[in-house]
Amino acid sequence: MPRTRISLPPFIRFLMPIPVAPHLSIVVPLYNEEESVGPLVDAVREALGATTSWELVLVDDGSRDATVQRAGALAARDERIVLVELARNYGQTQAMQAGFDASHGRVVVSMDGDLQNDPRDISLLVEKLEEGYDLVAGYRMRRQDKIITRKIPSWIANRIIIWLTGVRIRDNGCSLKAYRRELLDQLHLYSDMHRFLPALAAATANARIAEVPVRHHARKFGASKYGLSRVAKLLADLLTIKMISSFRESPLAMFGLGAAGSGIVAAAFAAAWLLSFAEDVGPLDSAPMNAYVFPGSALLCIALAVFLTMLGLIAEEALQKARFEERDDRIARRVTG
Amino acid sequence: MTGVAARRTTELLVEREDADVGVTVIVTVVERPEPLDALYREYAAVLAECGRSYEFIFVAHPYFHDMLEPLVALERQGEPVRTLVAARSVGETALLRMGLDASRGAVIVTAPAYHQVQPSAVAELLAAVDAGSDLAVARRWPRLDSRVNRLQHLALQLTAGRLANGALHDIACGVRAARRDVLQDIPLYGDFARFLPLLAIYNGYRVVEVASPQHPSDLARRLYSPGVYVRRLIDILGLYFLLRFTEKPLRFFGLIGSVLAGVGGIALAVMFVQRLYGQPLGDRPLMLLAVLLATLGVQAIALGLVGEMIVHFNASRRRGYRLREPRKPDGDQTSRS
Repeated sequence: MPRTRISLPPFIRFLMPIPVAPHLSIVVPLYNEEESVGPLVDAVREALGATTSWELVLVDDGSRDATVQRAGALAARDERIVLVELARNYGQTQAMQAGFDASHGRVVVSMDGDLQNDPRDISLLVEKLEEGYDLVAGYRMRRQDKIITRKIPSWIANRIIIWLTGVRIRDNGCSLKAYRRELLDQLHLYSDMHRFLPALAAATANARIAEVPVRHHARKFGASKYGLSRVAKLLADLLTIKMISSFRESPLAMFGLGAAGSGIVAAAFAAAWLLSFAEDVGPLDSAPMNAYVFPGSALLCIALAVFLTMLGLIAEEALQKARFEERDDRIARRVTG
Repeated sequence: MTGVAARRTTELLVEREDADVGVTVIVTVVERPEPLDALYREYAAVLAECGRSYEFIFVAHPYFHDMLEPLVALERQGEPVRTLVAARSVGETALLRMGLDASRGAVIVTAPAYHQVQPSAVAELLAAVDAGSDLAVARRWPRLDSRVNRLQHLALQLTAGRLANGALHDIACGVRAARRDVLQDIPLYGDFARFLPLLAIYNGYRVVEVASPQHPSDLARRLYSPGVYVRRLIDILGLYFLLRFTEKPLRFFGLIGSVLAGVGGIALAVMFVQRLYGQPLGDRPLMLLAVLLATLGVQAIALGLVGEMIVHFNASRRRGYRLREPRKPDGDQTSRS
């Protein structure tokens, strides 16, 4: 029997004692994982058994193979399993967000659908979370991936993320993570932000974060969906996450700093111009061109400084409403939770 | 006063529910209109042949106000035709939305005020929608066009057409059929009505093409004023950004910016090294160019950062994914593509 989900207003849910939301939700994005779905569900069932109340949210990210049919069949047989279908292939971040939105647990665990994570680790993460953390990230012990194309780039990326954001997470690429519902309510994933989730959680919600070692298996089915050809995208994303973690509260400060830097460069050009009049500087230039090149460069840098300042002001303007609303939201949460 | 207004609204609603219309045909009259009453008769004949209840809404740009007169006469005779005229000069998108708001049919057919394909194509489009497609688009095929038209068509396909990832071969064809809820869900604004199928794909709707021979009256060579081509080009640029980079503006601006700043930076670095070896800096105009490129690059990146900031703060307001709507139990289960 497929479970029918009816969303009721909160006060009615409060009045109805019996169908309680499960304590634990496991969210698994799936993209072309027809071979993995079955074993994955079995492994989750085996690992969790009847210990706690749990639900497994399978999110189909527009797969082109039989993933939907198989997941749908599994969901029809076991009412703890829920299938969420995205209308097209949106990418892992959106799939995770859709899973979070569809889940009901007080504690949510995300993991990969390719069987590289081990569901037996879920209880470890949850235990750690209950020690008083908002987010517990797994890090893969004895990672079973190719060294050159996966491990080394991932190590470098993690170092850079730590350096940029100050959030000490060894393995941002590990999908096995546990979250408190209160945290997920404040997190909104977009673009490819799932890779920077801990940094985002720290920056936007002051999350308390811990790490736990988890098992990692080699890929059994299907092809890996990552590649090396993403350095440019990663760099852009790193710049974004740096901005969010450092300047989210004051965009104007970021552009102001940029403007100041540009002003310093302008001053350096101006100084070079003045110096070039001094005879004793030597070859720094007695040619007539020097009357244009240095002051021209200085003016360009001043123009940049002006532009950046104005851009910062327009950013404040554009973000005013969204930031104000968010502030309300956060204060309300602090009181209630 | 409010009481009267409220009563009128209910009346309207009641009228709408009573009128059980199968198909609403919305004809936007905004360019090269042919005699509209003849157009109406042709399409109406096709719909009557399909055995469907139908209504027609002609939405006209004020410039073509007079063209509607024969239709008003038809309406007086009791034909299911309504006419709307925009209050001011607006584009096709606004006209389409006006028509959509006034429509009652469960399925909407849109058509331009001239022939592109044989009217009989509508029957096939409606059949495709019945079979489970969210949007069915006519494709003028086989194409008998004049050379100039073909060249323009090719240019459009090579630019905007590529955004469909090869799914569409004639995005300029305005004869389309869709469920009304689909059209109402797709955010239509600006000049994007002509790219409706692309927006539908982007929002995860199933779009199919139906080939139909090009109509003889569509073959004549069409050339527009240069301004029209500039407008189209800007539209396509906007569309490209909207479909590819809405959630990740820094990847777009960052690419442009880093190329500019990179070229400028390398030139600057080379000149500073040469300066260390004694070549004067002040009389090299290349330096001005290098500084210009570097500042332009920084400006582009800064704009991208503002974009990222806006995306970040707006992420809580809208979800970046759409769920596949649950299939009706009696519906055609095999129509998934």
